[in-house]
Amino acid sequence: MKTIPLPIPTAKSKKHSWQAIIGLLFALLVIGASLYAFLYLKHDHTLTDLRGRLQGASALHPFGTDHLGRDVMTRLLLGGGQTLGYSLLALGAALLIGIPFGLIAGYKRGWVDKLFMRIADAFLAFPDTIVAIVLSGLLGAGIGNLVLAIVIVKWVSYARLVRSTVLSESQKDYIRIARTNGLSDGRIMRKHLLPHIAGHVLVLASLDLGKIILLISSLSYIGLGAQPPTPEWGAMLNDSRPYFQSRPELMIYPGLAIVSVVLLANMLGDYLRDRFDVKKEVQP
Amino acid sequence: MILSIEELSISSRDRTIVDQVSLAVREGEFMALVGQSGSGKSLLSQAIGRLLPPNLHASGRVMFEGSNLLERKPKEMRALRGCHISYIFQDYQGAFTPFRSIGGHFDEYQKVHGEKSSAIRKKRAEEALESVGLGAELLRRYPFQLSGGQLQRASIATSLMLSPRLLIADEATTALDSVSGHRVLELLARKQAETGCAILFITHDWRHVRRYASRLAVMKEGQIVESGGKHRILDHPQHEYTRQLIEAAPVLNRSLKSGLKEAGTE
Repeated sequence: MKTIPLPIPTAKSKKHSWQAIIGLLFALLVIGASLYAFLYLKHDHTLTDLRGRLQGASALHPFGTDHLGRDVMTRLLLGGGQTLGYSLLALGAALLIGIPFGLIAGYKRGWVDKLFMRIADAFLAFPDTIVAIVLSGLLGAGIGNLVLAIVIVKWVSYARLVRSTVLSESQKDYIRIARTNGLSDGRIMRKHLLPHIAGHVLVLASLDLGKIILLISSLSYIGLGAQPPTPEWGAMLNDSRPYFQSRPELMIYPGLAIVSVVLLANMLGDYLRDRFDVKKEVQP
Repeated sequence: MILSIEELSISSRDRTIVDQVSLAVREGEFMALVGQSGSGKSLLSQAIGRLLPPNLHASGRVMFEGSNLLERKPKEMRALRGCHISYIFQDYQGAFTPFRSIGGHFDEYQKVHGEKSSAIRKKRAEEALESVGLGAELLRRYPFQLSGGQLQRASIATSLMLSPRLLIADEATTALDSVSGHRVLELLARKQAETGCAILFITHDWRHVRRYASRLAVMKEGQIVESGGKHRILDHPQHEYTRQLIEAAPVLNRSLKSGLKEAGTE
């Protein structure tokens, strides 16, 4: 008699593990490439050479040169560092404001919560591109103001996420017992609530990273973000626009770079979401 | 008189839940507070440590060792809680923060109450666990690695560690089977004999009242209807409600310690 082998239920975990591995490899590749560009590249990314402009691929310039004769590969690699760096900066600042804000609102409840959440709602009323455009108009275009605009728009979602998690968590007995044992509110928030929400926040942050990269690139594309000669993918797209007919690859390279990095960030976010098993609170 | 509650009222915005309650706990005594669920027992106990939910307001006086707790600053209250006034709750499963080790809790509670030396903190944590019959190796474990009984005893150990003057047990044995319940109470009675702390024991289990309490108070709908020595109340209940409660309590043996006849006999 033959026994039928039971199907091994690994399909789900397998899918996740390949996502994670690809994501990780890709992240390492991007980081490595940026570091390599930063430390070792032989071309100066701002060095213009008008006689050698719009060249095709060659041994000296593997991705060719742009409309000012600058090496495209150098600029692509350095641009990755720029885009990712500023995205992470904006994300970090948003977390730094949003987490304490949500913690206090969710833990204190009552009028503190009401006040904090009305403030958050006021910020939520503005769409991100509008804020970025208005800020650039007021303070001048530049990557610093762009990061500021993104922080202003993004911190609210973290505050709301943290608040809702803390609202339910701070009703649990271990928080009550910590209070009855004489722990201060600050200590309870830091040591007993913060580690709990870290997973949720990490998931939302990684899902947000892709959106922020897109936002920085698209606003740089319309000239509100990185200013020339800073290499930035969105700005590079814009620079190459007039030459699209003759040299389409000048737009394709940075475009592909943006697509792949955003994809990577989303994959990472999906993986983390399944890993931490947070479905309800975090919506991509 | 270690704790004396004088005309304490607890009210929400639209109604009074506890109405002008006065209650005294003497030093070193085992005071039981009995009453149906919803009678305001738990709120009364939370008001002592100023742990009421923010939408409830307490007025009156809660005198603890001569000073009114309702007038103390929040910082002073924090110093009292866990150190001079400790609580034991019904739910021990969630008593510890899930991602922190048991030892971390013992350590933290001592740290916030001013113990600076980590060697002393560790030693005292081990002693506290041993005093409830648990081994010191539990300090390195996480809450989910402990059994229910271990968790219960460990959480009692945290409450007793700093030798409180007043221990408030809010339905501490309600969730337990009767053997475990008695074990917990034996432990509390033993610790009381050792340290001389007063215990305010909130329950609706008459077996525990009969066996351990020295005095008791009966609460109904936010008011204390009767209080006094255990035998006085069990044998000669003055109030109709107390009589009903005693008669409703299940009893197995017919000759009771208090001399009371079982309901329905004769």
